Amino acid sequence: MIYLDNAATTAMSEIAIEEYKKYAQDFFFNPSATYIQSVEISNILNEGREKLKKILGVKKGDIIFTSGATESNNLAIRGSVREGKWEYVFSAGEHPSVYNIAKEMMREGKIVKFVPLLKSGEVDYFSLSKVLNDKTRLVSCMYVNNVTGVINDVNKISKIVREKSPSALLHVDGVQAFCKIPFNLQQTDVDLFSLSAHKFNGPKGVGALYVKNKSGLKNIVFGGGQEYGLRSGTENVPGIMSMVKVAEQVDIKKNYEKVFKLKDCFLQKMKVLPDVKIVGGITSPYILLIIFPGVNGETLVRVIEKDVVVGRGSACSSKKAGNYVLENMGIPINQLKGAIRISFNPNLSESEVKQAAEIIIKGYNALLEKLK
Amino acid sequence: MKTILLRMGELFLKGENRSFFENTLVNNIKLKLSGLKYKLEKTRGRLLITEFDDCDELVCRLKKVFGLYSLSIADELLAEVDEILNYFKKIDVYNKTFKIDVNRADKTFPINSMEMAARIGEVVLKQNAKARVELYKPDLLFCVDIRSNGKAYVYHEVIKCQGGLPLSTSGKALLLLSGGIDSPVAGYMMAKRGLRLEAIHFHSYPYTSPEAKQKVLTLAKKLSEYIDEIKVHCISFTKIQEEIHSKCAPEFMITLMRRIMMRISERVAKKNNLGAIITGESLGQVASQTMQSMTVTEQVVMDLPIFRPCVGLDKEDIIKIAKDIDTFETSILPYEDCCTVFLPKNPIIKPKISKVLNQEKMLDIESLVNEALEGEEIISIVNEN
Repeated sequence: MIYLDNAATTAMSEIAIEEYKKYAQDFFFNPSATYIQSVEISNILNEGREKLKKILGVKKGDIIFTSGATESNNLAIRGSVREGKWEYVFSAGEHPSVYNIAKEMMREGKIVKFVPLLKSGEVDYFSLSKVLNDKTRLVSCMYVNNVTGVINDVNKISKIVREKSPSALLHVDGVQAFCKIPFNLQQTDVDLFSLSAHKFNGPKGVGALYVKNKSGLKNIVFGGGQEYGLRSGTENVPGIMSMVKVAEQVDIKKNYEKVFKLKDCFLQKMKVLPDVKIVGGITSPYILLIIFPGVNGETLVRVIEKDVVVGRGSACSSKKAGNYVLENMGIPINQLKGAIRISFNPNLSESEVKQAAEIIIKGYNALLEKLK
Repeated sequence: MKTILLRMGELFLKGENRSFFENTLVNNIKLKLSGLKYKLEKTRGRLLITEFDDCDELVCRLKKVFGLYSLSIADELLAEVDEILNYFKKIDVYNKTFKIDVNRADKTFPINSMEMAARIGEVVLKQNAKARVELYKPDLLFCVDIRSNGKAYVYHEVIKCQGGLPLSTSGKALLLLSGGIDSPVAGYMMAKRGLRLEAIHFHSYPYTSPEAKQKVLTLAKKLSEYIDEIKVHCISFTKIQEEIHSKCAPEFMITLMRRIMMRISERVAKKNNLGAIITGESLGQVASQTMQSMTVTEQVVMDLPIFRPCVGLDKEDIIKIAKDIDTFETSILPYEDCCTVFLPKNPIIKPKISKVLNQEKMLDIESLVNEALEGEEIISIVNEN
């Protein structure tokens, strides 16, 4: 079985498992306790924060460890909400863990504005500049879209936000970018950045939120006051240390180049199907969304699932009918049905990717034949 | 002593067969209550449960037994005037309004119902000077049921149960379980009339997802709370649908599918000694549920009756039952069932048998049915209680 749904989740690497085991078995102490063993764990966690900051390319600010990107996004957005007539701006292509917060805020009577997507899948920068003003409290826009792989120009977004709404906070959901796309947050003025370990061969149930200035954020859960009072609850030390270890070991640039070649390999194979459509303009090499005309993507996924595992856009939302990201890109509903998402991992070989492409092509042709 | 009084539904209508129905009901109750501590006693017109520990769990399970009309949690007393009056001397009604309702099933009891109620009321008022009798909307209701077994039962509430006939008393039938809202309701309604069930489910993997099949098994599990156990016969319909799609006119797809499903169902029913086929069809709800479609569909079933208990119900009525039996939330999960695959744009709503037979000539139906039956997968679901 060739696994090509790495944007949904990845297998934990050996290093990640070893590190997890170390902190689950030998160094299991509660970092909030007062004995020496706990103080040591607390220090190790703090070192982990610094290591993540280094990978993000930032010197200022803090890392808050969370249970994953959904929690990071909730903390970033809900924690930024203030009383009064503030406005909250979201791109129309956000992951459900952001999009659904925005919808809930609308139901609560807050002023929420969605910025449309361009046909390329990027956020419409011109529209963004038009909706911003001095009442804007928060702008949330993802780095790499989880469905299409489309990369938003976060530098450009940051400049627009600083120019039009200097006091607004900028949140970036960086789940599909962190440890995958080479970037440096020092050059990109971002206030809040979410990441998740299981997307880059780390464990599930752990993530982080980078916060440039803690004073701008309020906690959304109450408890023992861990994580600077912003995320109460005993830290998942094995998960966190496993995540930090993997992130430290990743050669982002080398992997990027390898995955770029893998994607190209796959696309070369797909040329035998001239009618398939590749979605998105500038995309991450890690994600490829293809529309197979005349079939239901869900059926195609099942036709090949014994040999090749692929996704349908977002594991978090693929069970629901329709896909608002693609709809917001203006893709007609009859085409949406045929979409499948291929997502790569640097651990794959070129021959595996070629073989997977052949299986998908064969499955598609067989299905088309039956549906004639 | 605390006692649960069980009232049997329409079993009193049964003449010489009454003991068969009552014995079956008692056996069904014993099965339903297995693992719990209790003593069950049969008296004239009532079943009594005593010596129990977990009253809430008992009531919860008894509420799902077909053939029981209602139950009450009662205090058991000797059916003697003084004993009953003494009981009420200890009752504090907290200055509230109350009503005493006496039922004297034992006509040898020396005082009639009205007079007994008045005497009990007098006792209560003596103990609670500010209390008041209220016959229409009392704060507290005391029902006193004086039975011919020499006992009287005092209770406050009548808890409604399922009613209907005890499971198995009508036999066993095969339910076509699709995963939608209607078919589990149809199964429940017929089980309530004393039928044990087996189910048949048609899936079209890879056109339908494994989750669609799982959904059907979840529905079967919910039904098993009422019928204790259910066998689900899972049949792959993929090849049949592909054959119809490639060889027949698209507007006949649904009609042809339904006819083949019925043929397969009858074969499964006969093999397993099931005496009827049950469907969730409701007249006019969709193209395959018009009078003409039903006529054409049922012609292939030669020897068994087809029960369609939802045929005269509105969708809202069906949904209400589905919510009551807790199948609704599962039924509306968005997984395609095999009827929605290859769905024609304009299905024929008034099929003519001659045209349908012409379409069927394009298919080797016997081989398709045999092949589908060869791949049958049987999954047994037993209620964990």
